[in-house]
Amino acid sequence: MDQKILIVDDEAHIRMLIEQTLEELEDEGVEFLTAENGEIALEIIQEENPQLVFLDVMMPKMNGMEVCRRVKKDLGLENIFIVLLTAKGQETDRQKGLDVGADLYMTKPFDPEVLLERARQVLGIV
Amino acid sequence: MPQLTLKSILGKRSEITTWLNAWSEITKSLIAVEDVQHGYLFGTPEYKVQHTFSVSLDEDLVGYVHGDNNDISLVADLLSLTLKKEAEKKKLGTEVLNLYQELNVIYNFSEKLSETIDPDIIAQLTLEQAMHSISADSGVVVLWDGESQKLLIPAASGESFLNLEQISSQSAVLLKIGFSGQSEIMGDLHRLKEKNIIHQDVKSVIYAAMKVKHHTLGAIILVSQDTEKFSAAHLKLLVTLALQSSSAIESAMLYEKNIREVREREEAILKIHEVTKKFVPNEFILSLGKATISDVRLGDQVKKIVTVLFTDIRDFTTISEKMTPEENFRFVSAFNERLGPVIRANHGFINQYLGDSIMAIFPRNPDDALNAAIGMQKAIFNLNIEREFLGLPPLKAGIGMHTGPLIMGITGDEHRLDAATISDTVNTSSRIESLTKYYQTAILLSDETLKYIPNIEKFHFRNLGKVLLKGKNNLLTIFECLNGYDDETQNIRISTVAQFNEALKLYQGQQFQKAKLLYQDILLKDPEDYTARKFIKKSENYLQNGPPENWTGADEMLSK
Repeated sequence: MDQKILIVDDEAHIRMLIEQTLEELEDEGVEFLTAENGEIALEIIQEENPQLVFLDVMMPKMNGMEVCRRVKKDLGLENIFIVLLTAKGQETDRQKGLDVGADLYMTKPFDPEVLLERARQVLGIV
Repeated sequence: MPQLTLKSILGKRSEITTWLNAWSEITKSLIAVEDVQHGYLFGTPEYKVQHTFSVSLDEDLVGYVHGDNNDISLVADLLSLTLKKEAEKKKLGTEVLNLYQELNVIYNFSEKLSETIDPDIIAQLTLEQAMHSISADSGVVVLWDGESQKLLIPAASGESFLNLEQISSQSAVLLKIGFSGQSEIMGDLHRLKEKNIIHQDVKSVIYAAMKVKHHTLGAIILVSQDTEKFSAAHLKLLVTLALQSSSAIESAMLYEKNIREVREREEAILKIHEVTKKFVPNEFILSLGKATISDVRLGDQVKKIVTVLFTDIRDFTTISEKMTPEENFRFVSAFNERLGPVIRANHGFINQYLGDSIMAIFPRNPDDALNAAIGMQKAIFNLNIEREFLGLPPLKAGIGMHTGPLIMGITGDEHRLDAATISDTVNTSSRIESLTKYYQTAILLSDETLKYIPNIEKFHFRNLGKVLLKGKNNLLTIFECLNGYDDETQNIRISTVAQFNEALKLYQGQQFQKAKLLYQDILLKDPEDYTARKFIKKSENYLQNGPPENWTGADEMLSK
């Protein structure tokens, strides 16, 4: 089965940066999906069932916390690995993130090496 | 960077796919897109037979567009163009990611730097970060130490390619590079190899100056055994790291210097306090409500009820006449050295040394002063035991004390301050001390002192009657504390206290004959009771001459 990663951020350059960071996974047959807000993200998640979602917390319309809560709690899609991304200095969100069922919590600016390493781990690509 | 393929622009969600569907429908044409691996990304192989156009990216063939008419050449062109734009976008993205990565490195690096104020640790962090980001084989941070005029190496890694000893000893060569304030990828490694600073296998060297404004602190040098290992981007990153590191090191060194200076200053002040404490008693300063001598200002003062004690060496003038000035000084010092600790142990402080005399203040209870007086007399007994061995005559000291208000303050002018005690209590106390010569007693105290002694039963006193001190209008009752004698004398004096007090009553009641007899009775038991002798003489005097008119029973002290 093809593996899919969904990248959700309202800022285009962050979406691009994450995609670019993970680019080499394309060679392993990983498909990238992007969404610019929480509502679209929720739609894509239900249609495409990605294995891994990078989810920005602060977004217009539905924020990342809410998307995460709906995916994990309402839809019961617990096997989707969700990485919440938040700006440095808002680490207090960490507990909230864990409460809504996020699997991992990363801060922006993210370390590209760490981000790629995490994605490889989650998808089982060594 | 993975090669851009047709697949990447013709995904399920791709707008190109939507557009192709629309084109096919509107133009009623059959379209198929095949990649170079012969996979069909759009349409099916049935359309292949008729017309075929190639899709390329940077002159490389990436796939084909098949169809039933020539118009689909436009589709091939569109796909080529889209790929080209996509490739450009990707290139830009890669560059942005590189920048982002660099930013992230610098961000993390600053965060790490902000956690330390140790220059060596900063140097080590810098090298660690540089080696990691630039992946060199070896590296060092060198810092110029202006004090020792030497190159220091606070951080080194992968030493096998760098000769640290040579770096320290051949500083001239490195000074030229690191301290010219330049940063570069070195072209000619000949000189460094000749001086044996780098290993013969080293092929690339990059260095960046560590500068703060126009002042160069040192340099960070990285080497690699790969040819042309370092790029302009590496140099840029290294310069950034070096700059950040050098300002952190400078701050850390300034911080260290400040800490050192503050510590030195504190030590100097402490030393001054230690010295001044010996001249101005700390308790005096504390009584003024100040922590240290530096806090004391002209005019500071405090009023307190205290006990003032005076000591005096009996017949000091006679003793000192037989000594040289040096011997005299040593004698007085030895004497004071014995008595000082006794005063301090009893919570008193020495306000003044006046030749052979000591003035001490006891700010707490008068029994502190009394205990000190007894202790001092004991110390003198011990001193006398030593003097006996040396064939010297024994010393005797008289101690007098009085309790009353005292103003302690700082007088003088702003250039010469002095601790001063201004009080009638001091004068009275000094006069009482003088009385010890007159009565030939060891310890005398006023009724004012006795009044404040809480545990009176601990001591033995006898009443010596009232005196009118010279220059004073009010009468003082003087008591003798008998605890200031050696055990034998003390016991015999105590045994006659009742008689003595009885005799005093008779004396004060002008029954001089009866008083005299009683005093003589005491003398029979205690022939060395010179106080009793004194009263016999006084009684005889009044028997012969009669007491003055309006005699109050007090001895008028005309001399000081």
